[in-house]
Amino acid sequence: MCNSAHLRVEYRAGYGYNGSMAETGATILIVEDDPVIRRLVGEVLRNEGFAVEAAENAASMDAILARIQPDLVILDVMLPGEDGLSICRRLYAHERFPILMLSAKADEIDRVVGLETGADDYLVKPFGPRELIARVRAMLRRGPRTQTPVIRRFTVGHLVVDLDARQIIDDHNTAIALTSAEFDLFACFIQRPRRVLTRDQICKWTRGRMPDPLDRSIDMIVSRLRRKLDRASPGANLITTVRNGGYLLTVHVTPAP
Amino acid sequence: MHLSSAVRIALVILLSVTIAWIGTVALFYLSASGSSRNTRPLPGQVAALVTLLERASPAEQQLILHAVTSQALTARLETGIHLGVTPKLQRVPRLTARAVDQYLAAAGGRPNSVTISREHGGKGGLGFTFVTPVDLELRVGLATGDTLVVDALSYPVANILGVPVGFVAGLTGAVLGLIALLALRREVAFNKLQVRLSHLVRGRIAMLGGISHDVRTFLTRLRLRVDRIPDEEERERAIADIADMLRLLDDALLASRAGAGELAEELVDFAQVVRAEVDDRRSAGKPADLQVAGAAANGTTTVLGDRLALRRVIANLVDNALVYGKAAHLSIDADSEFVTLNVDDEGPGIPPDQREAILEPFVRLEDSRNRRTGGAGLGLAVARSLVEAHNGTIAITDAPGSTADSARGGARLTVKLPLFVAR
Repeated sequence: MCNSAHLRVEYRAGYGYNGSMAETGATILIVEDDPVIRRLVGEVLRNEGFAVEAAENAASMDAILARIQPDLVILDVMLPGEDGLSICRRLYAHERFPILMLSAKADEIDRVVGLETGADDYLVKPFGPRELIARVRAMLRRGPRTQTPVIRRFTVGHLVVDLDARQIIDDHNTAIALTSAEFDLFACFIQRPRRVLTRDQICKWTRGRMPDPLDRSIDMIVSRLRRKLDRASPGANLITTVRNGGYLLTVHVTPAP
Repeated sequence: MHLSSAVRIALVILLSVTIAWIGTVALFYLSASGSSRNTRPLPGQVAALVTLLERASPAEQQLILHAVTSQALTARLETGIHLGVTPKLQRVPRLTARAVDQYLAAAGGRPNSVTISREHGGKGGLGFTFVTPVDLELRVGLATGDTLVVDALSYPVANILGVPVGFVAGLTGAVLGLIALLALRREVAFNKLQVRLSHLVRGRIAMLGGISHDVRTFLTRLRLRVDRIPDEEERERAIADIADMLRLLDDALLASRAGAGELAEELVDFAQVVRAEVDDRRSAGKPADLQVAGAAANGTTTVLGDRLALRRVIANLVDNALVYGKAAHLSIDADSEFVTLNVDDEGPGIPPDQREAILEPFVRLEDSRNRRTGGAGLGLAVARSLVEAHNGTIAITDAPGSTADSARGGARLTVKLPLFVAR
């Protein structure tokens, strides 16, 4: 294996190898359904001195996690069975090791690192070995995450919204009363800010089904929600209508302190 | 032809109103035909009249005549026997005459005639006496030597054209109903076609997405293996080839989504996306720079569009400028409606007669083909289709070759996109 020896030297040369023994000896778990990529990534990591465990799906990942505690998990987004996003949410809620997501779709990345999951970093396929090693080392240097619970509290314009407590507080510290349907709708917008949502999408996300063609109930709830939000922060115009039948939350959503 | 629901409802209402109309006319006809039987002199009535008149004195005869006269029937006596000829070919007079004969046969029979005195609607009508109402004149020779003349008037239930009342209405209703039916059928067929087309388009995009995913898997394997190539130059070339393949794939996928109107719509800070692309190139040591002017400097360049697509537009223009024009000088300007991005290079420029053509797919400038710059000639075409999917425009002009840096003066590509305005 003269090639791999050559490689190892190269990574060290290219990346100013300065990892401590703790980093080098770290255990990394790869969850990836493609056997070749799994093997190749494993080889790259082993060449760097990491201990590598590999799983092809959620079930075998759980089996490994029952046995060992990895220092980092590399997780593919598209997996058979339970997909990477759902695994990521699950791991983020219960574990403290950092998660590196691998995605074959650049447009998935927003969702991966956005509000939906707790991924710490991501790589878009295809990636080179050096990129991978650099990310892994950087993440290991940062160490395990300190805050474990996911707090779903967001600042939306002048409002602070707590999705778990289902509470909205305006800048005068007064709560805004919304009906259950209105809050679900607002939560749907907050989870997808600055994105045009069609009536069909909203209905699918809030009720889990497609609307009837003549069903105007979504529009009615939207207009009620807009009235209430307008009263709370006049002129903010949080939700606007877009020409071909969609709605849009115009402000940025940031995690609230 | 696509009918809105309002038009459909209007057609349904029209159809039901027409049906109600036809129904009313039919009811009128049924009731009218009941009474019109009475307006025709019943043969039995006439026979009874004959018997009465023959028994009565002249004074009583006048009283009897008065008593039976109504709007539908007048009876009078003429002295002397004056009979007409019952036409053999007309059914109503013939049948009436036969019935009168039967009734009068008990009294020994009387000479009689039944003729049509007036046909409603005239000759222009349908001409069937059993359809077209007629006035009949019955003449019966009495035993007293007088003639009983009974004029039976029929209600005018034909319209001015001589066809029965409601006939035109029914016809109109039927025709309208037929039209509505055809329109609905066409619409159903059109909807089916639309559904099939959208399935087809979505299917193709899904297939492209699937192919893209699988190709990326193979490219990932390849990319991981390529690092084992010992020769550095070969390795760099292989990595560049993989990047080119990937770009082609992404371009095809984005362009097909743009063509099918399947791009995402979100609020994107255009200047921020441009800055990120320029920073990427700069950190890779490429000669790219960016100037932000006008309203764009205040951070008001929000565009409603697909972030990936916009990034691809900028990347294609910048990389083109870097490959064919040595450097990329970007500037962003904005007014209240549009944001404008200029990408200037320092290359030889693009001749005016080739500016339109170079925005088409697979078209490359002749002299660039000879150089070893690679590329399929899709970059600008994809950029154009993506910009146009955002209701924007893309144009090629000469970069302003100012006196200060006369080395510049290559091509200028201008992208103009409408800004998002909240309503």
